[in-house]
Amino acid sequence: SIPTSAASHDTEQLQEEQRVRSMLRENFLRCLLSVNNKKVHFHMLEKVNVEATFGSSDIDVLNFQVSDLHTPIGVQKEALIRSRDVISFTFDL
Amino acid sequence: MLCDWLHLGPQEWLQFVNKEVKVKAGNDDELRGWLHTVDPVSASLVLVTFGHQGASVVVLMGHAVRELQVLREADEVTSQRLRTCFLPHRKPRLEP
Amino acid sequence: SFLRSSVAPPTERPGERRAAEMKKLYGDDAPKILAMEAAMQLTFDRNCDLKQPNYWPVIPLKL
Repeated sequence: SIPTSAASHDTEQLQEEQRVRSMLRENFLRCLLSVNNKKVHFHMLEKVNVEATFGSSDIDVLNFQVSDLHTPIGVQKEALIRSRDVISFTFDL
Repeated sequence: MLCDWLHLGPQEWLQFVNKEVKVKAGNDDELRGWLHTVDPVSASLVLVTFGHQGASVVVLMGHAVRELQVLREADEVTSQRLRTCFLPHRKPRLEP
Repeated sequence: SFLRSSVAPPTERPGERRAAEMKKLYGDDAPKILAMEAAMQLTFDRNCDLKQPNYWPVIPLKL
């Protein structure tokens, strides 16, 4: 059987990790919420740079739903951008 | 430090939070900013730089991170701004 | 409990598995994170239904 002190130590460690993960995730979700309706600049692979109005993101951060996407060949009213294509996106608070 | 950024855990990501970091990303990009948080799901970073008026935010995809270097720790004022910059704004309401 | 564990069919209510996973990842904060995620995903799904966005670029970019 496992000594009680070791078991409770493991539980404490697990709870600490859960606490940190929650804090990091909550802060990230708040950040994503704050981008709503803001002008964002996407810096993408292959030196592609585009501007759009940010709409929303799925919770797995696989897709960004945007409006008024200024592509090199014109404006696309509504679009989905794959996060795999993105290096970073920038906006002002 | 060179690192397998995607496969670090919450405790390890936490070590970089509240620090000014320099990140090499994609092929030849270099970004700099205060690390607000790291998404534990996608390993994406939120980097903030403060200006005179407001703040500029970069969300950097976890998959694009190549190298990360800590430049310095935040002082009390910067920590406070970092903690509160994404909280919903509550402007004091002046009731007549 | 004997009846419950061995005779009852292995039913799983929708969302139960996800709730258990969330509990493992986020501990006591799981309900809060789950609620925030649900609201965000709902917004995303609703916007996609409403606006019918197409992927841009059509073909994924390569490194």
